Amino acid sequence: MTTTTMTTPAWAVGVSTGVHAAGSRDVVYVPDNPLSHVLRVFEQQFRDVRLYLATREEEAFGIAAGLYLGGRLPTVMLQSSGLGNSLNAVTSLLMPYQIPVLMVVSMRGDSGDWNAAQMPMGRAVRGIFESLGVPHTTVESANQACDTIRCAGKTAFGTRTSLACLLPRKVTTGS
Amino acid sequence: MNRVEATRVIVQLAGDAPIVASLGHPAYDLFAAGDRPRNFYTWGSMGLASSIGLGLAIARPDVRVIVLDGDGSLLMNLGSLATIGLLRPANLVVVVMDNQEYATTGGQPTPTAHGADLEAAARAMGIAASATVRTEDELRQAMESTRFIVAKVQESAPTAKPPLDCVFIKQRFMAAIGNPETATQGASL
Repeated sequence: MTTTTMTTPAWAVGVSTGVHAAGSRDVVYVPDNPLSHVLRVFEQQFRDVRLYLATREEEAFGIAAGLYLGGRLPTVMLQSSGLGNSLNAVTSLLMPYQIPVLMVVSMRGDSGDWNAAQMPMGRAVRGIFESLGVPHTTVESANQACDTIRCAGKTAFGTRTSLACLLPRKVTTGS
Repeated sequence: MNRVEATRVIVQLAGDAPIVASLGHPAYDLFAAGDRPRNFYTWGSMGLASSIGLGLAIARPDVRVIVLDGDGSLLMNLGSLATIGLLRPANLVVVVMDNQEYATTGGQPTPTAHGADLEAAARAMGIAASATVRTEDELRQAMESTRFIVAKVQESAPTAKPPLDCVFIKQRFMAAIGNPETATQGASL
């Protein structure tokens, strides 16, 4: 039997630490390749964080809303392409009810992506958030990940506003 | 049994249990059957009532959570059955008011009018304690131990609408179940 030691990227440690520092202990997610590093950090270093798999991003926001009603501070982790699957949940549940969810959005279709199918949504993500009035911030580097996400979470939960933190590919994949 | 009759049975049996209602007629009937602070009325997010109920059930394992869904609504979010089947919270009861039509939008038939079987779907996704009921007695019995109930109901014209203020609905609900929203606020000094 061999043991594989996977290196944990610094940005992923920063994201997990920031979510935890913002007070969130419940993470609902739809799988994504870079975010798998974040999930592993939660499993290894933040055992008090509960991870819930959703089948679709819209469902993830519904579960997160229920967690909030039950007194928790929820985080949803998704790929930017999944934002398109979630807009009705964001606009007709989170926003009118003022239910705060910290969104951690792993970018597809930004600089470095090779997949044409990802590009239109990748280009549109920030504009969509702006037209909806959902505040968003971008993690500019690995060493800013923790502070960016911690501050976003503090604002989201303190002001009951759902808010997005974008993780560019140049940070998550180095491309 | 029509939908408002079935809703009255559920409210009678709910006791202190919070009820999450899907938008449109299920929410209207819940309000008519008995408005209470522990009712969470959705005004949008079609399909997500069972997901909201699931999140609440996970957050509050000490509380029995009831979801009033519609057949058309659940069909928008069938993946929810897989997630509920995966997590299997013992304190969650999902009741689907299956009138076999999109009544809120004018009565277009749903796939359940043509044989789609939501109970079978729930079983296939791992929710073994599932049942289909057609009478109030069957519904009462199912509410005792079943986790997923398809209530075959006739459409009944709604007579009232719940409060329109979403934040009011949320804050009243959270306070009633013991999670007053003010408790989530206040940064540490």
